[in-house]
Amino acid sequence: MGWRVDDELQQMLRDSAVHFLGAAGGPDHFRKVRASDSGFDPVVWAQMGELGWTGILLPEAAGGSEMGLEGALTLAEELGRAIMPEPFIASAVVAATVLGASETQAALTLSRALAVGERSVTLAWQEQRGTIGVPAFQTRLDGRKLTGAKRYVPAWHADTGVLVAATDGTETVVVVVDPASPGVVLRPARLSDGSFGADIDFNGVDVGESGIILRGQAADQALDLAIARGTVALSAQLEGLAGALWHMTLDYMRQRSQFGSNLSDFQALRHRMVDLYSEVELAGASWRRASKHLADGATSGIALHAAKARCSQVAQDMGKWAIQYHGAFGYTDEADVGLYVHAALRWSSWLGNAASHRREALVAHRRERDFDA
Amino acid sequence: MPEDLNLLSNDEFRGRWRAWLEANYPEEWRIPIVFRLMGDDERRWHRMTYQAGWRAPAWPKEYGGLGLSLEKQLIMHQEMERHKCARVLDSGALLLAPVLMKYGTQEQRDRYLKPILRGDELWCQGYSEPNSGSDLASLRTTAVPEGDEFVINGQKIWTTLAAQADRIFVLVRTNKDVKKQAGISFVLADMDTPGLTVRPIMNLADEDELCEIFFENVRIPAENLVGELNQGWTVAKALLGDERIANGAPTLSRQAFEVLEQLVRGVGLLDDLGETDRVAQLYCDIEDLAALHSQVADAAIRGEIDNAVLGLMKVLATDLFQRVSDELLRVAGEDAGLRKPVGVAGVELDLRKIYMIARPSTIYAGANEVQRNIVATMLMGPAAK
Repeated sequence: MGWRVDDELQQMLRDSAVHFLGAAGGPDHFRKVRASDSGFDPVVWAQMGELGWTGILLPEAAGGSEMGLEGALTLAEELGRAIMPEPFIASAVVAATVLGASETQAALTLSRALAVGERSVTLAWQEQRGTIGVPAFQTRLDGRKLTGAKRYVPAWHADTGVLVAATDGTETVVVVVDPASPGVVLRPARLSDGSFGADIDFNGVDVGESGIILRGQAADQALDLAIARGTVALSAQLEGLAGALWHMTLDYMRQRSQFGSNLSDFQALRHRMVDLYSEVELAGASWRRASKHLADGATSGIALHAAKARCSQVAQDMGKWAIQYHGAFGYTDEADVGLYVHAALRWSSWLGNAASHRREALVAHRRERDFDA
Repeated sequence: MPEDLNLLSNDEFRGRWRAWLEANYPEEWRIPIVFRLMGDDERRWHRMTYQAGWRAPAWPKEYGGLGLSLEKQLIMHQEMERHKCARVLDSGALLLAPVLMKYGTQEQRDRYLKPILRGDELWCQGYSEPNSGSDLASLRTTAVPEGDEFVINGQKIWTTLAAQADRIFVLVRTNKDVKKQAGISFVLADMDTPGLTVRPIMNLADEDELCEIFFENVRIPAENLVGELNQGWTVAKALLGDERIANGAPTLSRQAFEVLEQLVRGVGLLDDLGETDRVAQLYCDIEDLAALHSQVADAAIRGEIDNAVLGLMKVLATDLFQRVSDELLRVAGEDAGLRKPVGVAGVELDLRKIYMIARPSTIYAGANEVQRNIVATMLMGPAAK
């Protein structure tokens, strides 16, 4: 842990995560989900529900464990170490934040099912490639009819609950949609972490009497918070992944011998490993700072962008060098290193990749500085 | 007796230090990065802060320092950065004093600490030799006991601001027949001792701050030995952890980045996407190092010292300073080829000089490659030979 510190709740969650994921997570589980038709393991999801993880951000009244964002981030870091393809961030962080802001029956029903791990829920918000932060939605709600196209909807599987963000007149709304409804056109695609994403068209889909769960400012605020929390959680998950991959690579370097020496004894390789370790440390500090800013109410800004940029970058950099230092074996599907690299590809590109977040951080800095001046 | 600054809230403390700087810091010194206080300027700075009750924040009160918490020391650094203060070496207070406090005799403390506080005496550090750079323990300058004296012969090099210093602390070899670290002693000498000569070396930044020092039968009293004979290696390592934390701060990178932003604006590249990507990378590197630095400092305040990360932060901070200074010259275009690129797009600092000042940072205080070796041993265990 070094300079990192957990409070009591975080320490408890981390211990429980290490224990549970040691058996339920890791490469074998990743391969199993990757090979499944749905890209979703309902058994593990239900176990995560029993542990209180799926409802970690949901209010107790909705069956949640209400352990707060700090706890959720600790879990995300550990889920990253164990390359879990489960929709913890898409569902228990992003969708749960939106659900938790609503007092409607429809939201409560989904929350209860999510809190116990009976269902997962996903939020369809993005409409274009490369969107950072909540945009103005082209998807329209007209009376009860929803029309528009959502892209890159995460954690898609047949039984998922679906929330859709849209514009109704001049207001933002969030509606619950049954994906089996007439007018819904689905184009699922397997993602590199083994889960599915989907592009979804809504052609005049009837959302029913009680389908609207949030409206106006409440909807805007909930969506903003949901994407910000998701971004920081994803950063933590990427940092966890990179740290695990660093250790895995070192273990391999210690037992692989060439020219009469272990790889871990070659200075050129040692220096690279030290630099990669530095990157992981920067990543760990960066998302922790973003989490503090978020707790203080900042749903955007320098810290958030810097964190996603750094953590996305370190996961990719670590992946690249992990393959290199595993040699030709690292290029095989049999080696676990490739699983981490594939998970990193998905997670680092989701919710804005490194280059776009770096740019946003600079833009935010220039805006603040010009404002000060 | 002035009030205890530690009792002030951080905000109050910050406000007070800021106000003092604004009222008292000489305007002509406000040249960040490029300017370093030396000689009489440095003496004046120490005297000013001493008289105003701001001198030696890290020293315990019993020695006349402020005994400030690490947190408040960092606030002082931040405010000096914000005020665009010049760099200052202060080897006496930062490097020698902690050694005297831990290993010095009462006589040594009585004699040397007060003049350091008052700015009456400046010190320099005689460690490196022509053939002992990063491998410091291989040093060969000898000190031979003769009666109640030591006789020193040999040569030191890269001694910063030796020409302006009044005294020097030196690592010397007092035993050649043991493992190299076990035959080193830590001694003090006056710069005007007969046989001691200083030759300044011109560096790439057009400064003659770094010097060679020649010792030809330099006689110093035996009482100038600090710690036990042959214990010098241990003595030299007795730096306070606080200084290592200061080495990892992104101060110079931040100051150079401010210059870079002025330059990018001045040459009309604010909307250039390629430049934006490069500047954004540097910006995020600075922000993340600042995030790591403050969290590592917080941990140190709680007593959790992460040695690997302390070593790494020096590497990160100095490498970053170089990359920001590289970018300055890239943005300057053809002007980067000027001997004095001053006034480029309205930037009044000498861009080439910033670039050159950034060069040795990756070499001094343990070359970054040596730091990587040390950290690699901590993280991965020793490399088999």
